[in-house]
Amino acid sequence: MSVILKFDDVSKQYAKGRLALKAVSFEINAGEFVSIIGPSGSGKTTLLRAVNQLIPITSGSVWLDGEEISRQKGAALRKQRRKIGMIFQNYNLVAQLSVMQNVLHGRLGYMSGINGVLGRYREEDKREALTLLEELGLKDFAYHRASDLSGGQKQRVGIARAIMQHPKLLLCDEPIASLDPSSAKVIMDLLKEMTAKRGIACMVNLHQLDAAINYSDRIIGLCQGSIVYNGSPKDLTENLIERIYGTSRENLMLGNKNEAGS
Amino acid sequence: MSESLANITFCQERQRTPKIPVKCKNRNKAVPIFLINCLILCVLSLLFLDIDWGKIGARIPDIGRVFWQLGHFNFEYMSVVLSALTDTICIAALSLLYSLVLGIFFGMCAARNVFKLPWLAAFTQAFFSFLRAVPTPIWVLLMLVCLGMGPEAGVAGLCVHTTAFFTKSFAQSFESIPNETIEALETTGTSRVNIFFNAVLPAALSQIMAWCGMRLEINFSECAILGMVGAGGVGYVIATSLQGYDFGTAGVAITLVFLIAFGIERAFVAIKRRLS
Repeated sequence: MSVILKFDDVSKQYAKGRLALKAVSFEINAGEFVSIIGPSGSGKTTLLRAVNQLIPITSGSVWLDGEEISRQKGAALRKQRRKIGMIFQNYNLVAQLSVMQNVLHGRLGYMSGINGVLGRYREEDKREALTLLEELGLKDFAYHRASDLSGGQKQRVGIARAIMQHPKLLLCDEPIASLDPSSAKVIMDLLKEMTAKRGIACMVNLHQLDAAINYSDRIIGLCQGSIVYNGSPKDLTENLIERIYGTSRENLMLGNKNEAGS
Repeated sequence: MSESLANITFCQERQRTPKIPVKCKNRNKAVPIFLINCLILCVLSLLFLDIDWGKIGARIPDIGRVFWQLGHFNFEYMSVVLSALTDTICIAALSLLYSLVLGIFFGMCAARNVFKLPWLAAFTQAFFSFLRAVPTPIWVLLMLVCLGMGPEAGVAGLCVHTTAFFTKSFAQSFESIPNETIEALETTGTSRVNIFFNAVLPAALSQIMAWCGMRLEINFSECAILGMVGAGGVGYVIATSLQGYDFGTAGVAITLVFLIAFGIERAFVAIKRRLS
């Protein structure tokens, strides 16, 4: 299997001196679905944002698709970023624009000059956007304002925007943290299904341990900026979970306290 | 007897109890200090200018007389007034259009979140606050010197101030767009200019409309003043007719200016209601 993303001894120190990542090394293969778990402040978001250099790293190197993205700047960095789709907890759509326009924003990285400024998309891009919206069950909403949609629908638009980029890697920063359980399941199913179909590797930051175990090919466990687990969900034992979260699994399940004793 | 005695003691008791305070203990002293300073400044100004109140008092009946004469509308020069009024509206509209385009461009430079270049934003902001600090009539006078008498100078002079105003207000509107939205497009590899035109500008459009309405109103009334310094338009007609004691014509012109300014304001209130 070909390696799409490689972290080599990456550290990140914020201005206040806090080490968010401590010599992190791992690889992601093409088409792999990887969850990153860990308590708040363990460096999950920093790790994800170091991939596309939204957060510049302090030392080490990040390799994407054979090129060292951590050293790239300007046009070269933008070209690399086109290969990485990103999905956010708060969807980050442009609320005033139509669903269609938001989906087509995924193509903006490929456009330059006057066509980019005026937002004149190619007809085949528009056709692809409509097909994608149909696949995501949003065809009837294509010309609605993004602000009129529900949370789950907005996140589906976010997925469509990312897929429109034709990425090789999809980064999802807490994609289901703002959603109700049934919408969350829809989103996770869609993420899994759509990335598998297109051979896109997927890195998902998750707070929900059960979702991570059920959907992932591999789980990376972070604790205080270091990787403490990197392997199959099957091998994630109670002991390892305790090492990642600093507490037992029972304490991670809401309302499970009484059953834990019995 | 005993009743009145009780009354007296009751009154005494009331007098003795101190008033219950209602204000905050740690009050902000800034407001009273500011007001006292204002008062001192007013008194000093009054002394410095040495206003002849007696003369003003004697002239009060004249105010009534002038307004009485202004009310006797003279429609003889209606065509002149109307063409001058059209000039004024055109100057206001043109300066608004030019400034809108320039303001969007410079607002893009002045907004800290578009190019993420702090020096560019700081420089643009500083430059335009200097332009804004100089009042419009002075800009128009400067343009009159440069470009000669006529509406061109009016348009150019109004543009300077309006562009400076728009740069600041548009930059504020652009900066109110959530950073996450911009970040989302950044991750797709989109260039800064494309992000601006496809996400930031459309998101700020309703605010830009509101600023335009407000500015058109200001520009129109400023334009009426500018005519008096020689930039053409209805202000010129008002100034010359007043100087020639042709109060009837001036009255018509002033009333029309008021009606149009009022109309613009009402129209934009209606548009704003529909936008929100």
